[in-house]
Amino acid sequence: MKKTDILEKYPPKMENVLLILHDLQNHNRTNYLSEKDLSLVAQHLNTTLGSIYGVASYYSMFSLTPRGKHIIRICRSPVCHCAGVNDVFDELTKLLKIDVGATTSDKLFTLETTECLGQCDLAPAMTVDEEVYGHLTAARIATIIAQYRRKRSHGRRRRG
Amino acid sequence: MDNRVSIKIDGNQLSARRGDNLLAVAQRNNVPIPSLCYHRKLTPTGACRLCIVKIKGMGGWIAACTVTVAEGMEVTAFDPELEAARRDILDYLLSEHNESFDRSYEDEFKALIVRYGLDDPVRRRFPSVWKTLGQPIDDSSPVLTYDASKCIKCFRCIKACGEVQGKHVLSMANRGIQSYIIAGLGVWGASECDGCGECIQLCPTGAIVEKPNRDLLITETPEKRVVSICPYCGVGCQIELVVKGDRIARVNGVEGVKPNDGRLCVKGRFGYEYVGHKDRLTQPLIKRDGQFQPAGWDEALDLIASKFKAIKAAYGNEALAGYASAKATNEDNYLFQKFIRTAFGNNNVDYCTRLCHASTVTAMLRALGSGAGSNSIEDYATADCILVTGNNMVETHPVTATYVKRGVAAGGKLIVIDPRWTPLVKHADVWLQPKLGTDIALLNGLMNAIIREDWIDRDFITHRVERGLEAFEELKDVVADYPPETVEAITGVAQGKLLTAARLFAKADRALIATGMGCSQQVTGTHLVFSLINLCLISGQIGKIGSGLNPPRGQNNVQGASDVGCLPMSYPGYLPVSDDANRKKVATVWNVSHEALSGKVGLTTVEIMQAAYAGSIKGMYIMGENPMLTDPNLNHTRESIQRLEFLVVQDIFPTETTAYADVILPGVTFAEKNGTFVNSDRRVSRVRKAVDPPGSARQDWKIIWEVAQRMGYPMKPYADETEIFNEIAAVAPFMAGIAYHRIDREGIQWPCPTQGHPGTRTLFLKQFNTASGRAILHPVAYVPQTEKADADYPFLLNTGRILYHYHTCTMSRRNQALTDFSNRSYVLIHPEDVKRIGLKNGARVKVASRQGEISTRLKASNDVLPGELFMPFHFGESPVNELTRDELDPDSKIAPFKLTACRVTAHQ
Amino acid sequence: MMKAHKIALRNVGEINPASIQDYMDRGGYEALKKALHTSPEKVIHDIIQSGLRGRGGAGFSTGLKKKYTSEAACVLLECMHYIVCNADEGEPGTFKDRIIMEGDPHLLIEGMVIAAYAVGAEQGYIYIRGEYHQSIHMVRKALAHAHARGFLGHNILGTGFSMDIEIKLGAGSYLCGEELTLLESLEGKRGYPRIKPPFPAESGLFGMPTLINNVETLSHLPAIVINGAHWYRGLGTEKSPGTKIFTISGDVNSPGYAEVEMGVSLKELIYLVAGGMKDGKPFKAALLGGAAGTFVPESLLDVSMDFDALKEKEAVLGSGAVIVMSKDQSILTMLDSILRFFEHESCGKCVPCRVGTKQLMVVLEKLKGADNKRPDHIDSLVYQSELMAKTSLCPLGQSPVLAIKSAVRYFRDELEKPESFQSRCQ
Repeated sequence: MKKTDILEKYPPKMENVLLILHDLQNHNRTNYLSEKDLSLVAQHLNTTLGSIYGVASYYSMFSLTPRGKHIIRICRSPVCHCAGVNDVFDELTKLLKIDVGATTSDKLFTLETTECLGQCDLAPAMTVDEEVYGHLTAARIATIIAQYRRKRSHGRRRRG
Repeated sequence: MDNRVSIKIDGNQLSARRGDNLLAVAQRNNVPIPSLCYHRKLTPTGACRLCIVKIKGMGGWIAACTVTVAEGMEVTAFDPELEAARRDILDYLLSEHNESFDRSYEDEFKALIVRYGLDDPVRRRFPSVWKTLGQPIDDSSPVLTYDASKCIKCFRCIKACGEVQGKHVLSMANRGIQSYIIAGLGVWGASECDGCGECIQLCPTGAIVEKPNRDLLITETPEKRVVSICPYCGVGCQIELVVKGDRIARVNGVEGVKPNDGRLCVKGRFGYEYVGHKDRLTQPLIKRDGQFQPAGWDEALDLIASKFKAIKAAYGNEALAGYASAKATNEDNYLFQKFIRTAFGNNNVDYCTRLCHASTVTAMLRALGSGAGSNSIEDYATADCILVTGNNMVETHPVTATYVKRGVAAGGKLIVIDPRWTPLVKHADVWLQPKLGTDIALLNGLMNAIIREDWIDRDFITHRVERGLEAFEELKDVVADYPPETVEAITGVAQGKLLTAARLFAKADRALIATGMGCSQQVTGTHLVFSLINLCLISGQIGKIGSGLNPPRGQNNVQGASDVGCLPMSYPGYLPVSDDANRKKVATVWNVSHEALSGKVGLTTVEIMQAAYAGSIKGMYIMGENPMLTDPNLNHTRESIQRLEFLVVQDIFPTETTAYADVILPGVTFAEKNGTFVNSDRRVSRVRKAVDPPGSARQDWKIIWEVAQRMGYPMKPYADETEIFNEIAAVAPFMAGIAYHRIDREGIQWPCPTQGHPGTRTLFLKQFNTASGRAILHPVAYVPQTEKADADYPFLLNTGRILYHYHTCTMSRRNQALTDFSNRSYVLIHPEDVKRIGLKNGARVKVASRQGEISTRLKASNDVLPGELFMPFHFGESPVNELTRDELDPDSKIAPFKLTACRVTAHQ
Repeated sequence: MMKAHKIALRNVGEINPASIQDYMDRGGYEALKKALHTSPEKVIHDIIQSGLRGRGGAGFSTGLKKKYTSEAACVLLECMHYIVCNADEGEPGTFKDRIIMEGDPHLLIEGMVIAAYAVGAEQGYIYIRGEYHQSIHMVRKALAHAHARGFLGHNILGTGFSMDIEIKLGAGSYLCGEELTLLESLEGKRGYPRIKPPFPAESGLFGMPTLINNVETLSHLPAIVINGAHWYRGLGTEKSPGTKIFTISGDVNSPGYAEVEMGVSLKELIYLVAGGMKDGKPFKAALLGGAAGTFVPESLLDVSMDFDALKEKEAVLGSGAVIVMSKDQSILTMLDSILRFFEHESCGKCVPCRVGTKQLMVVLEKLKGADNKRPDHIDSLVYQSELMAKTSLCPLGQSPVLAIKSAVRYFRDELEKPESFQSRCQ
């Protein structure tokens, strides 16, 4: 799908801006909104660049810099905090060899923290893209990350 | 219902307008409730929280700026609790604030810090965190710098840009304590910011500051502040000139007064550097053996007087002519026309109005009895429908455009008619894009629709139009030939859009038209304006508050120069020269015999040049005009000027025209003189001297007075400009009630016939100024343009202005800030045409017409229709008027700057 | 005594949420049919009589909100108003709306159409937080099905009433769960709170009168329409009638959720719903209502969990979140997490909240260190959070005081001890 097709899905009204930005971001392989994207949206909505930039930079789900293929969002709400999310978090940074906000060198993962995911019965919890993972432990984290890594190398082989 | 309510603040009874904002009421009554985010011109934000008060019967503390007063409201504005909280809030702000201060701006925040004793660090409660925040500085704009560490995030700049200027370029980035102001995508210089500086004006701290002249501003020596009128377009904004030593260091908009209420555009705020520019003419220059050589005033003036006298003696009175100036004051221009009429003894005085709104004025005079705009700038903000036609207002009258945009934001409908995309189109409900030169068909089509749908105002036609319904029937017959499908075929405008526009305009309670050069500068200009008037008349959209026809004037004093008589057909106050009674009246005031005044209508601007070409005009006096760039068909103009025996040019800079002069006289800029300008709203406002002229440059009126003296036509001595103005008021009946002391703070709109008269916001409320008191319909048919594209000249060229430059750039290009934004000529061509002619975007090209050929750069753009071109006319190195034609509108003698067949080829 | 009573959760776990037929088989959309055959005034009357209060967190009387929309503003504005469902559930420890949207999306839709009918709204919006992917998916599907069956759209069930519902997504902002901020966000703007008044009922979405309610609140409407106000009044307490979904998390054996009558005690929730304290560890405190909530100590284990009884004890019911802490947990660690949350979510519009949330963290960092001025720091937290509460523009800045003051009230001794901060949970 072309970017212009995404825009055309929505009537050119400012109220659709969040939906459009979500769609454009998901459409980008690097999970972010480029300046070009923001300009396209501004043009489509007959508004100024600043209005779009202001919105895009306010909401924490949008990124204005390129990210990895998968976005890991680890919950740091009070509940997950209590449930020991920090240990999980340490394991993740160790496994991925990155800090929060950064992207792995193979561009596979970007690690982010998030406010409460509403999965408190599964605390500590995180999401990878749209998938929810709960009852996290260091061991479980390793399995999950390995899964995604495997999936990618499979994908590569198939394409190759 | 009683319109006022009574409230109590800290026990003091106050009276307030119902619906008023509590903080505004407090401020007006000098209750010093602190606030940083509130500004009179903006919607309340409630962000700084300093104006918290307690209100009896309401829980908690409430920000006064968010409260509407109600009868009996009891407010506690000051008590120890509130004051302690305010101190803490200020302390909070300080903790995220970079306190370095270079004394170049007024800091409202700093003043509050001192007021609450927080300038003493010991009294602060909260540790400073600003250095941990990494707030950026954006220095990329040519005119301003933003420093986030000095920003208190009050939103005033964002709202100044959005609500006041209608631009919405600024926004907040990020959130929480990491938020800061951004323009566009975060780089000011690459954003849509056009440099109007409204954000600077409303910034309460030093977060957004001017870039030009910072070194001048940073000083503790006392400043001189002089209120005057902006020297650029015809909006007539009141400006405050901040003077350091002998230089203008800054310009601010004057808040709370008409017409601009503090608003300015980029030229108004940053276009003042030309005043002190090194290129200024500082002494008289006499051309000897083809070289200009400095001369003394006496020598120059005597030479001029003797040459003019010699021409008169040899060829008669009619061999002399003068161009007055739309940039000079009323006082200068009044003396100029008096000089022409007495010393030259003819009526050959005209000026650039002939090049811009002559057709508008001609049509309006004939149909309505007055050529001036019927409404006021503030009416745009409250109109139900605004029709902007042939007027690139955002660039040519930026401050007027802010009122239009506010009107749209308030729910008003906007129709734009323009063959080219203009920035106002972004705000329009309907944009009609007719092919060049087909406007009359379009307007007739609008009327056709209005009549067919029966949206006409019968009552208005019956009572306010000459011959009422009978005249209407004649119009109806003419416009019957323009059903939507015919109009679409001629103009290219879709039928649906046409109908929408017709409905929006005719059915609005109050509809306003702003016309412009796009309409007037055509061979059919007068007819086109007749059509606009017809449109107003049949739908009853004139003659009431908020309805009417307005030609925003291009230059600061176009209106005034006409008002004070720089017209070949009339004396000051539009008294026709051909009328004996007028001649007698004027002769009495001027203390000359009325036989000495010619009753023969003089020549117009272009006619004077044609006469010079033909050899009947031998000598000319040009004050502050540059016909060598502004007149159509420049090759012809050049030849004409060269054929003159003697040419005097009085100006502030060397121009394309001074090069051809025999004597150049150094006049002065607006900032160096006293006087008055009249803006497009007919508002007569004060111009005041702020700095001394350079070298031996002299007041323009004094130069004219001297020449008259030396030609043997002694004018009465004037002690100062006041005396000249009083004489104008004595001659021109509609200014009779205006005097300097009445317009000290704010101008008055003429007509103002008596000293007690408040001035006139809207014309034609009771009657039109025609003999019958009724307006006259002038049905006009669409006639295809004689100038046509053909195989040799396949494009039609349209010309106009851009925001950053003014007229021939004599002034505007001598400002670094403005040239940083734009300094290059270009020609807009539709991308399809670019492809077709096989050229590249940005290529150097030759644009040639049947009149001449110039060189410029190609800019591919969807702004123009295929087959059409657009070029700005400002740039001397690509003088567009080498291309334009001098075929004149038969009614008004205006030249068709807006339509010339051209070809575009690669530059060799 | 705890009484489980399922209204909002009556189908959750019982049906295939993706099947509209399943929903209808259990009486779904019957309430809508009934409502559409009575007058809007009667529907409003029933809701007012039921005493239903908003389940979003503030506990406003739903009926009053509705009445205002319908009568006061409608006449002036030709009924062109909107109904908005607040599904921007972001309060830490809260996931009740997610359970409804994922487990029984048609109940929400039915409730919303009934409410729209009552107030004459023809356009509805469900604003779902962007992180709730599964909820978005389920509601989107349910809307399509409801449309296909004629429960939505033009001329619903042939009654002449038409309305449509669109989904809008949040994108990561807690503050957008505040109703006026949500409206700003719905309009496509930055999530800044609006100035009140005007209230949404006078000037809400796009400046039009707007009814805005939480997912759980709307999900109560079908049952009220079917069973009547009297029935509803018979549940819960006098001033907080009906049921409430509590989401219980933290140090309990089986974290989860339960819909019970208002007036249940905290002890009952922990022991009867959540299987008791995790591994039998002793109870220390519960954080009620999430980050914008209050700590309660052991002494309040028996207090009735309803809006007013909790208010008396200076605690809040809020969204129904119950975060249980055993003796192993540190209050300071919890406060750290809460205050960092507010710092992250402060929009930055008003000074007290923008700077205050940052300054609170500055103080907290000192408390986390081995500083000998601990009592001063604690006083500073209280002082600043009170300043923020009194001067902030919206509920976010007014919230930190709840956790801070309740923590200090019950756990000051612990906070004054230098070892009170634990970066790791035990």
